[in-house]
Amino acid sequence: MLESVIEFTGAHVGWGAVTALHDVTLTLGAGRVTGLVGESGSGKTTLLRAALGLVPLRAGSVTVGGTAVAELLAHNALAFRARAQLLPQDAMGALSPRMTVRRLLAEPGAIHRRPADPAPLMAALGLSSALLARYPHQLSGGQARRVAAVRSLCLDPTVLLADEPTAGLDVSVQGGLLTVLLERQQALRQTLVVSSHNLNVIRRISDALVVMYLGEVVETGPAATLYDRPAHPYTAALLSTNPVLDPAHRRAPIPIVGEIPSVLHPPAGCRFHTRCFQVQDRCRTDPPALVTTGARQVRCHYPLG
Amino acid sequence: MTALVEVQNLTAWYGRSAVLRGVDLHIKRGEILGLVGESGSGKSTLALALLGMTVGLERRGTITMDGTNLETLPDAERAAWRGQRIAMVFQDPSSALNPLFTIGTHIVDVLRRRTPGLGRRAALQQAEAALHSVDIPDPALRLRAYPHELSGGMKQRVMIAMALAAAPDLLLADEPTTALDATIEAGIVRLLQRLRQDFRGSILFISHQLGLVAQLCDAVAVMYAGAVIERGPVAGVTTAPRHPYTARLIACELDAGASNTTIATIPGDVPDPAEHPPGCLFAARCTLAEPRCDTPQVLRSVAPDWDVACWKA
Repeated sequence: MLESVIEFTGAHVGWGAVTALHDVTLTLGAGRVTGLVGESGSGKTTLLRAALGLVPLRAGSVTVGGTAVAELLAHNALAFRARAQLLPQDAMGALSPRMTVRRLLAEPGAIHRRPADPAPLMAALGLSSALLARYPHQLSGGQARRVAAVRSLCLDPTVLLADEPTAGLDVSVQGGLLTVLLERQQALRQTLVVSSHNLNVIRRISDALVVMYLGEVVETGPAATLYDRPAHPYTAALLSTNPVLDPAHRRAPIPIVGEIPSVLHPPAGCRFHTRCFQVQDRCRTDPPALVTTGARQVRCHYPLG
Repeated sequence: MTALVEVQNLTAWYGRSAVLRGVDLHIKRGEILGLVGESGSGKSTLALALLGMTVGLERRGTITMDGTNLETLPDAERAAWRGQRIAMVFQDPSSALNPLFTIGTHIVDVLRRRTPGLGRRAALQQAEAALHSVDIPDPALRLRAYPHELSGGMKQRVMIAMALAAAPDLLLADEPTTALDATIEAGIVRLLQRLRQDFRGSILFISHQLGLVAQLCDAVAVMYAGAVIERGPVAGVTTAPRHPYTARLIACELDAGASNTTIATIPGDVPDPAEHPPGCLFAARCTLAEPRCDTPQVLRSVAPDWDVACWKA
């Protein structure tokens, strides 16, 4: 199980003037479900891609099972790809328009030269075998997402990074996909990382939570703890925006002023200080470090009590 | 409250495919009515039908607003209702603003259409006030900005300012926050909650997020496969739904209160638009279905202001 722990140490990722990940030090626990939340441009997708070596690091390191990802890829890329899979956000874009669903689903087994029967996963995800003859453009968005999920899961990966797996899915369909992801996670004792804008989905499935803002990890810890008692003002504000059906569970909204700053010009000091509801002078100049207290880590000079 | 809009037995086809199947819906004066339903249930088509903008669709039925059947109006008269009596805020503000025109031009156009003869200077002053009312900082500066110079959240505020500048009786908002980030979305929802105190018209708020509808709306209508199958007070429908489909849809919501139970789904598929089931549209997926469900189900009153299209309700 330990071979699937993912560790970032002082990782920086960027291109040109853009810094997409800034000094990320983070452990994504082996055999656990980690939820990754944060708004557009916070670096969620880049973090997932960096964990698989799909984007180069400018500094720092990322390891899977204690070995640097770059080394794993140089040593035996095929073996690493088989055990660590990405479920991409743009599922339709990840399916070759020239292949039928049948060929798309046979591809992982063919590339890795091992049996990978997609039929049980298709059935579990409610994909009818009538779809096998279709091309991606003949699928709905939800069907394409599920076909991509079968491709990601059919090699029994011990690491699965799912980027917004439920975005654009109707609630009547999202449950089926989440159930299959969780079943496979349990059966394979998989390291599953799920990024999402949907805070209710993340709360329901996650053991641990990672909150990102403008390329930095601002808070991480056990999901239940963070949902109940967020310590970073951004976590508190983000969770308070969650639209909830049951009035008994509705939080008083914490308004955040202004817009998310550009990653091209991140604010000095704490990156959240321009929108923080409890900003103080120190926050404008002095960037806070990620500090460990108990099971959680927080990047804030004045964490909430 | 009397009804501002009364939609009766509205159907719309594209070739053999039924997109709306006999929609009955009323919108009261001054209410915010949430319209929910899954992809393809006909929410957006209904909004476009209210605007008279369903190009290529064949429509039957009536849409009565303030005593006028809009569906029998000549095109030119119908067009006069758009942007004056009925305004719309679209899902994607980036594609709803013309990239060649400044924000000021967009709003001034709306104002001068609403009030012919309004001078440019006066219109610009009103436009500045309109931007101020939707909490856009430096409104005078923003009037000279082009759409690409604004963020998504700002653009959606501009769209709302434009829609309200028309002082419409009916505001249609089609998933106005779906393209926005959570904190920006929350800001738009707060804005709508505040604006409704001054805005005297009715709002049709289309969303797939029941939680958002529960927070913002007075009443909610649920669509399934091109028909409204339940309409009632928002607190009642979201806590004690009467139609089996509404109940299943709400059970699928992963609410903050839910514990570690099975994640619900609704097995089966929405009927294909080319198929025309004789009875209840949801019967094929309904766990409570009985032979009697083979007869068509229309909305009937089950409680004050609460209509359900299910004989069991």
